[in-house]
Amino acid sequence: MTTGLVTLKINGREVTVREGTLILDAAKEAGFDIPTFCYQANLSGLGSCRMCLVEIEGQRKLQPSCITPVMPDMNVFTETDTVKMTRSAMLEFLLSNHPLDCPVCDKGGECELQDLVYKHGPRKGRFAEDKVRHHDKDYILSPVIVKNANRCVQCMRCVRVCKEVVGRGVLGAVGRGVHQEETSFLRTRLDCDHCGMCIEVCPVGSFMRLPYRYRARPWDLVSARSVCGYCATGCRLTLERRGDTVVRAIANPEDGFNRKLLCARGRFGYDVMNSEERIKTPLVKERDGSFRPVSWDRALELMKEAILRAGPERAAGVASATLTNEELYLFQKFMRKVVGTANMDSTSRWSAESSLKFMEAAGIRGGGTSVYQCAESDVVVVLGGQLSEENPVTDYILRYINGARRNTLVIASPRGMKLDSSAQLSVRTVPATTGAFIAALLKALVEKKEVSMEGMEAVKGLTVEELSGVCGVNADDIRWIAARLLTAGSVGVLAGTDMLRYDDGAEELALLVRLLENTVRDVRVLPLLDRANQRGAWDMGVHPYLEPGYRPAQRRGHDVHGIVELADSGGLGFLYLLGEDVLGLYPDRAGVERALSRVGFLVVQDSFMTGSAPMANLVLPMAMYGEKHGTMTNQEGRVQRMEAVRRPEGEVRTPLETIGRAGNLIEKDFPVVRPGDVWKEIQKQVPGYGEVRGMEAFKGASADQVAELKPSFSYAVPERAEGEFWLLTGNHLFHGARLSQHSGILRELLGGCVVEIGSTAAQRLGVGEGDMVEVEARGYRERLPVRIREGTPDGVAFMPENFDGKDANRFFDKDRVVSTVRIRPYKKQGE
Amino acid sequence: MEKVLLKNLGREGAHTVDSYLSGGGYEALRKALGMEPEDIIQMVKDSGLRGRGGAGFPTGLKWSFIPKDAPEKYLCCNADEGEPGTFKDRGIMEYDPHLLLEGMAIASYAIGAHKAYIYIRGEFLFAARRLQEAILEAYEKGFLGENILGTGFSLDIYVHRGFGAYICGEETALLESIEGYRGQPRKKPPFPALSGLYGKPTVINNVETLACLPAIVNRGAEWFASIGPEKSPGPKIFGVSGHVERPGLYELPMGTPLREIVYEHAGGIREGRRLKAVIPGGVSAPLLTESELHTPMDFDSLAKIGSMLGSGGVIVMDETTCMVKTAYIIMRFFSHESCGKCTPCREGTTWLKKIVERIEHGRGVPGDVELLESLCDNIFGRTFCPLGDGAVMALRGVLKNFREEFQYHIEHKRCMV
Amino acid sequence: MDEKTRREIEGKILPKYRTRRSACMASMQLVQRQKGYLTKEDMEEIARLLDMEPVEVEAVGKFYTMYNVERPVGRYHIQVCENLSCSLMGGEHILKHIERLLGIKTGQTTGDKRFTLSVVQCLGSCGTAPVIQVNDDYYENLTDKKVEEILERLK
Ligand SMILES: Cc1cc2nc3c(=O)[nH]c(=O)nc-3n(C[C@H](O)[C@H](O)[C@H](O)COP(=O)(O)O)c2cc1C
Ligand code: SF4
Ligand code: FES
Repeated sequence: MTTGLVTLKINGREVTVREGTLILDAAKEAGFDIPTFCYQANLSGLGSCRMCLVEIEGQRKLQPSCITPVMPDMNVFTETDTVKMTRSAMLEFLLSNHPLDCPVCDKGGECELQDLVYKHGPRKGRFAEDKVRHHDKDYILSPVIVKNANRCVQCMRCVRVCKEVVGRGVLGAVGRGVHQEETSFLRTRLDCDHCGMCIEVCPVGSFMRLPYRYRARPWDLVSARSVCGYCATGCRLTLERRGDTVVRAIANPEDGFNRKLLCARGRFGYDVMNSEERIKTPLVKERDGSFRPVSWDRALELMKEAILRAGPERAAGVASATLTNEELYLFQKFMRKVVGTANMDSTSRWSAESSLKFMEAAGIRGGGTSVYQCAESDVVVVLGGQLSEENPVTDYILRYINGARRNTLVIASPRGMKLDSSAQLSVRTVPATTGAFIAALLKALVEKKEVSMEGMEAVKGLTVEELSGVCGVNADDIRWIAARLLTAGSVGVLAGTDMLRYDDGAEELALLVRLLENTVRDVRVLPLLDRANQRGAWDMGVHPYLEPGYRPAQRRGHDVHGIVELADSGGLGFLYLLGEDVLGLYPDRAGVERALSRVGFLVVQDSFMTGSAPMANLVLPMAMYGEKHGTMTNQEGRVQRMEAVRRPEGEVRTPLETIGRAGNLIEKDFPVVRPGDVWKEIQKQVPGYGEVRGMEAFKGASADQVAELKPSFSYAVPERAEGEFWLLTGNHLFHGARLSQHSGILRELLGGCVVEIGSTAAQRLGVGEGDMVEVEARGYRERLPVRIREGTPDGVAFMPENFDGKDANRFFDKDRVVSTVRIRPYKKQGE
Repeated sequence: MEKVLLKNLGREGAHTVDSYLSGGGYEALRKALGMEPEDIIQMVKDSGLRGRGGAGFPTGLKWSFIPKDAPEKYLCCNADEGEPGTFKDRGIMEYDPHLLLEGMAIASYAIGAHKAYIYIRGEFLFAARRLQEAILEAYEKGFLGENILGTGFSLDIYVHRGFGAYICGEETALLESIEGYRGQPRKKPPFPALSGLYGKPTVINNVETLACLPAIVNRGAEWFASIGPEKSPGPKIFGVSGHVERPGLYELPMGTPLREIVYEHAGGIREGRRLKAVIPGGVSAPLLTESELHTPMDFDSLAKIGSMLGSGGVIVMDETTCMVKTAYIIMRFFSHESCGKCTPCREGTTWLKKIVERIEHGRGVPGDVELLESLCDNIFGRTFCPLGDGAVMALRGVLKNFREEFQYHIEHKRCMV
Repeated sequence: MDEKTRREIEGKILPKYRTRRSACMASMQLVQRQKGYLTKEDMEEIARLLDMEPVEVEAVGKFYTMYNVERPVGRYHIQVCENLSCSLMGGEHILKHIERLLGIKTGQTTGDKRFTLSVVQCLGSCGTAPVIQVNDDYYENLTDKKVEEILERLK
C-alpha cells in the first residue's frame, strides 16, 4: 500500500503527516491538544460529541477533527475564539443534564468530563431546569458492571467497543434524544465477555466496576505497572492497591501495546492476590499426612537434604510457564548447576519433541512479531485452538483490525469461537488433524501455482479430496483459502497450541510458511500460547533438550512424560514442582497420582494448594504477579517488565529468593540474587535479549536451529465410536491456568465447571443451555451443566482444563492422541 | 398553468394504472428507455430541476455523481414528509402513485439502479397501500420487474415504512433506517452518491422531485425551465395550512409571490383577520411577516431574505396567535425529534424547549431571551446534521420579529394577544 | 410469534433486502399489528430470526415512536397531533375534549382497555387540521361534534 505524505498548517505551524491522518492526530503531532469525548482510537469514527470542532480555512462550518482526514495545504485553526467558545459551549450542554454527583461518583478524580470542564469549561452554569433522570438507583448489569445512565455523555464508546472490539454487541443505545440510554436489553443482566471494556472506555461514571464500587479514590491508590498472568497475549496492566489490598487492575492506554484492552481475566482476576486461600508459610508433611508450618530455614534444609539424597539422575523439576524470565532462568540454572540434572520441563501437557517442532515452525526461537503486524496482513489465518477464549485480547485486536481494514480472516479449528463472526471463512477441522488440513492447503496451492521447493515432492502424491476427508474441511473451502493466499501481499498465520498438544501440524506449517515466503514473501507467524510466559520459558532453557538461547543441551534430560514415568517406576528421589500442577493437568490423573506418590521427596512451591500440593512432602508459599519484579516474554516475543505493587505478605517469598537461597545452601558460590542481577546474566546468556528501554522491547532471534522438520504426510482421523465425543480441553474465558479459581470475581462469572458442546449435539441429546449431562470415560463420570457453543460440530466437546474437583485429565488416556467421552442427559431421580 | 403534479388530486379512481395510462401515463418511461442514460441526466440538468425535499440541490447534478461502472446502485425515494406544515407528497402518492413510480423508473434507469426503495413515513398507511397496489399493477403491465418494455432494463421497487422519526427524512438517517438501524445520520463524506445504501452508490430524491420527471421527459427540458425563475424553475406544490380560508395544496409556478399564494389561492386570512406571521417552508424555515409577503417563493429569493423555501409548507398565523406558544410548539417538536446523536442538538434543543416552555407558562425571568439567543449561537453550525440548525433558524426567526412578545410574557407572566 | 408470521417474514419481507437486519422494522410492524404492542419475547425472537442482538431490536423499537415496546395499548389508539398547524386550528381543544369524553388523561388507557390516548408530532395532514389518527385511520378537519361521533362509533 502506498501512503503518501500530506503537508498542512495547523495554527500556522507546518506539519507533514501520512495521508489519511485525522486532523486530531496531526494537531497532536504539531503540539496542539484537541479535547474529545466520542473519539476513541481503534473505534469507528463517530464525530458526534462535537468537542473537537476546529476551524478550517475556506469551510463555512466548524469541522470535527476526529473524523476529518487532513488534506494537502489545509489551514487548520484549533485555538481561535470561536473554537474555544465552542468547547465551552459543548461542555455546558453536556453538563446541563449531568447530575453533578461527583462526590459519590467512582469516577471522581479521573473523569474526562471533570478534567475537560476544568480546562475548557464554562465557569458558571446557566441551566436552571429539571434534569433528565433515567433512574433513581444505579443498576447492576453483571457481576462486574454497574450502570448509572444519568451521568452518560452519549459518546457511544461503550456500544462501539462492545460490538467492534469485543464482538458481543450486547449494549445498545436505547431511546431517542435526551432519553437515549446505553444499556443492555431491557436493562437485564448481561451474558457477555464481562471484559469491562465498556467501563474502561467510559469517560464518565456511567459504566462502573462493581467490585471497585466505593472502594477508593484515585488519589488513595498506589499503583504499579505489571503484566497479566492469565495468557501469553501478555497484556500490560496497572495494578492498584489501597492499603495492602489490590483493588483494581486497569489498562493504561499510554502504556502497553494493548492500550485500553483487557479481558475479564486480566481486568478482574487481580483479586486472586487478596485471596484468603493462599499458602502463607512453608508446610512440611507429618507422618500422619497432615501439614505443619515450618520456618524457611528448616524448609530449605529439608529440600537440600532431599536433593543430595536423590542425586542428579534421580532428580527433576517442572516450572510453570507463567513465572518471570528471571525465575525461569534461575530455575534451570539451579537444576542444571546445583541439582545437576536436565530432567526438567515447563509444561505438563506436551512433549519435548512436539515443542521443538513448534518452536521451529512458529518462529519461537526467532525474533518477535507484533500481533498488529500479523493482524494487518492481507490474509490472516488462525490455525487451531480457541483464540477467543484462550487469548481474548488477541481476539479483540484481530476483530477491530479486521473491521477497519476489511482484510481476509480465515479460521480453521475444531471448535466454534466468537471470532468466527468476523471471519470471511471459518472451517471446522477434526481434532488433531491440523497437519492434514495444512497438507491439503499445500496441495491446493501447488495445484494453482507451480512451485519447486525442497520438501514439496511428497505433496505430489496427495489429493486435496483425500486430505479433506481426514480433516473434515470441504475441498472447495480449502481451494478458496489457497486462492486467497496466492493473491495476498502479506499473510499472517496464528498458530495455536493444538499443534503442541497433539504433536500435529507443526512440520506442515513450516513447509507452508516456506512456500508462502517464496510466493507472497511477507509472511508473519505468531504463536498463540496459553501460558503467560511460555515463550520466555523456552528462551530461558527450561527444557530437557535446550539450554538458554536454544543451545542444544550437552546431555538431554527427561521431559514431563519421562519425569512422570521415572517417578512411576520409583526412580525419582526428588521432584520440584514450581508453580506447576502436574496432577491437575497431565493426562491420566490416576496414573500421575500413583507416580507422584512414589517420588522420594516432592516439593511443591505454589500460591495455592493445587492438586499436586497435598501429595508433597514440602509445600512452599510463592509470590505471584503484582508481588514481584521481573520480565515476561509474551507470545509475540515482546519482553515486558513488571513491577510489584506490594510486598508478598508474611512468609510468602518469590521463587527467585527461594531458588537463590536453596542453591546457595548447597553450592556456596550459587548467588542469592535480585531480579536485576539475573536479568544481566540473561542478557549475556540468551541471544536476542538485548536492552529493554522503558517497559518493553522485542526480543531478537537465536541462531541455532532446534529441529529438522519433515512431514511424513500420513494421516488418519482419530478414532471415535458412534455417538461419542472427542474431548478437548484448555483455557476458558473466565478460567485460565489455575489461578482463576481463587479469584472470587472470576469464579462468580464462570459459575463452576461446564461442558461445552455444539447446538446440533445439544439437539441430538435433547439438552439445552444449563441442563445437566453426565460425561463418562475410562470409568469416570462427572455431572456438569451444558454450555452451547455455536459453530462447534457434533462429536466435539470441551471441558476447561485444571478445574479443581472436576479434573478433566481423568478423562484422558496417557497415550492416545485425542480422548473420547460419552455424554448423556442427566435426569434427576423421579424425573 | 396546466397542472402536472396535482392534476389528479381529489379525483376518484385516478390512482389506478388504467386511469393513469388513459392520460398518457408511462409514455415518458417508454421514451426514456429509448434514450442513453447520460442524455436523461443531461436533460434533467438542462431542465434546472432542483430537489423538492428541502435543500434544493440540482437533481441532474446529484445523479451525475453516481459512478457509472458501479455494479450495484440504489435509488431511494424520500416520502418521509416529516417537516411540520408539509403534506404535499401524500397528495401525489394517494392520487397519482403511478406518476411517482414512473418518475422512479426514469431516475433508476438514468443512474443505473435496479432496486429502488420508497421510504414512507409509517403514519401514511393508506398511501403506502396505494403505492403497493400501484407497484403490483406496474409489474403486471411490465413497467417494473425484469426486462421492462422489452428493453432489457430491470427494476424492482419496494416500499419501506418508517415508524415515527422525523430525522429519517434526513437522507443518511433514512438509509440507516432501511438497513435496520436506528435512524441516526451518518457522517459525510462519504456521500451517498459514492457510499449509500449498503455502502453502494445511492441517489435519494424527494417524491415531488421524482414526480416532475415524466413531464420533463415528455415535454422537454426547455418547457420545464421556462416555468418560474431561471435559477429554480418548474411547477411547485405549496401546502397552505393555518389561519387561511382555504387551506390545501396548490400547484403553482415556482416563484409565485407569497402574497398571491396566501391571499389569492388560499383565500386570505380567515374571518377577515390580519396576518401576523407566515412560515414559508415548514417549521424549520424562519417565519416572515407582512412586509415580506411580496417575496417570490423560490429557493434563492427566500434564502436572500434569510429564510428558505424548504418543503414549501406554508403555515399562516393570524393576529390572535401567541408567538411564544408558537415557538414553544416548534421547540417541543425539535427536542422530541432530536435523534440524540450529537451534543448541541440533543441537549441544546431540549434546553431551548424548557426555557421557552417556562416563559410560555409565566415562569420566565429577565435574561431569558438573551440566554435563548446565546444558546442558539452555541448550537448553530455545530450540529452533526441540519436538524439542529433548523431548530435554531426557526427560533431565531420568531425572536427576531417578536422579541417584545417574549419580554412581555416574561414581565407580565401572560400573553399579550 | 406464530408460524405464519415467521413465514411471512421469511417469504415476504426478507427478499426485499440485502441484509437480514433490514427486515427488522417491517417484522416489528407485522408483529405489532397483531396485538398492538411488542413483548420481550417478540423482540428476542425477531433478534434470533434476523441475526441481531435483542438489544438492537429494542433500540430500534424505542427510537421510532410508533412502536409500542412493552406498552400495551387499548383497542383504539387515538393519537392527537399537537404540532403547529393543528394547534393553530384548535388541536389542543380537541385533545381536551377527547380527554373529557373518555375520562382519561393523555398517555392513559380507559379502564375497559378500549381507548388509549396519546399526542403525536405532525401527522403530515396540516391542510386538514386539526387531525387525529385512530389506529391506521386519519380523521381530519375535526370539530367537537365530529369527535363525538367518531368516539360514539368506536365505543
Ligand atoms: C432533519 C431533516 C429532515 C428532512 N426531512 C425530509 C423529508 O421529510 N422529506 C424529504 O423529501 N426530504 C427531507 N429532508 C431533505 C433530505 O435530506 C434530502 O435533502 C432530500 O430527500 C433530497 O431529495 P431532493 O434532492 O429531491 O430534494 C430532510 C432533511 C433534514 C436535515
Ligand atoms: S455510557 Fe459511557 S461510554 Fe457509553 S456512551 Fe455513555 S458516556 Fe459514553
Ligand atoms: S471527538 Fe470529535 S466529535 Fe467527538
